[in-house]
Amino acid sequence: MKKIVFILVAMAAIISCKNETKKTEAVQNQDEIAVVETPEILIGEFDAKAGEFVNKEVKIQGIVDHVCKHSGKKLLVVTDNGKIHVTSDVRFDDKIKGNEIALVGTVLEDKIDESYCLKMEEDNIKSHSEGASNKEQFENKKNHIQQYRDAMKAENKEYISEYSLQYVSHTIVE
Amino acid sequence: MKKLRKWSRILHRDIGFFFIGTTILYGISGIALNHLSDWNANYSVEINEFNTELNLRNNPNVKENILVLLDKIDNSKNYKKHYYPNSHRLKIFLKGGSSVTVNTNNGYVRAEYLKRRFLIYHANYLHYNPNRLWTWFSDAFAGALILFAITSLFMLKGKKGIKGRGGIYTLLGIVIPILFLWYYI
Repeated sequence: MKKIVFILVAMAAIISCKNETKKTEAVQNQDEIAVVETPEILIGEFDAKAGEFVNKEVKIQGIVDHVCKHSGKKLLVVTDNGKIHVTSDVRFDDKIKGNEIALVGTVLEDKIDESYCLKMEEDNIKSHSEGASNKEQFENKKNHIQQYRDAMKAENKEYISEYSLQYVSHTIVE
Repeated sequence: MKKLRKWSRILHRDIGFFFIGTTILYGISGIALNHLSDWNANYSVEINEFNTELNLRNNPNVKENILVLLDKIDNSKNYKKHYYPNSHRLKIFLKGGSSVTVNTNNGYVRAEYLKRRFLIYHANYLHYNPNRLWTWFSDAFAGALILFAITSLFMLKGKKGIKGRGGIYTLLGIVIPILFLWYYI
């Protein structure tokens, strides 16, 4: 009887070890697949290529130039060739500023049209009249809105697309 | 009613003592964060402007000159990363959040040194709810604030209590946010 119990226990141990190995392999394989499947876009090419990846995850690499001091949930990631705005549901520690990071995020598309510009204009006037923005900030925003209008006119389009990333994960690049 | 008054005082007093530090901390960071548009609530900023003759134009060996520049004004060991926002502008990031920008055409350097504001930085850090453990503690504090409000209604009797002056103050404290909401929303 003891021998039977011993054999059963040994078999159970071997089977569980095998399953464990299979599970680990499966997890590793999944991880590998996930890494392989996330396309990497150079920041300098982001504006041109992002349209192909709307609502999909992409990987970028750059230096964190700015962390939003109000919310801590917005990053500006830059290289010599461009910049990307990243929004997140979690706050970033401001120590991340100046670090080079590899970041995975979901591509978001903002369609800027005339109604969007009008809304921005209204908000800009309101925030300035309430003292929430100073004259310089007011003028900058005003110029920014005009740039959108100029771009729409130049491209002869009813809207222009602006792309950003919704944060998923990141690693520090040493 | 006597028992309610007695327990209101006990709870208000003892829990109030316990949360004195937290109340001051949230009060300080509350004011600091209310004025984010007017100042940097976490860091004091010191600006150093000067000119350099070092060649800091974009080239493969520029890092050597960047480190020389940093040794002159700070310490090259504080170097983190650098990049060129445009063809004639270099931005260097230092440890601790400080940064240096250089106009590579005319050699104009602007260094921004950040120094954590004593106490306010730490108060803000906690106010922003850094982790799960603090969430529980700050939830307890928020619950205690509600308790303070309720117990204060029953602590005093007579003309200084809720049926007298206390009642007028209570009413005013409720009416002001309502008026504010009515006006702005």
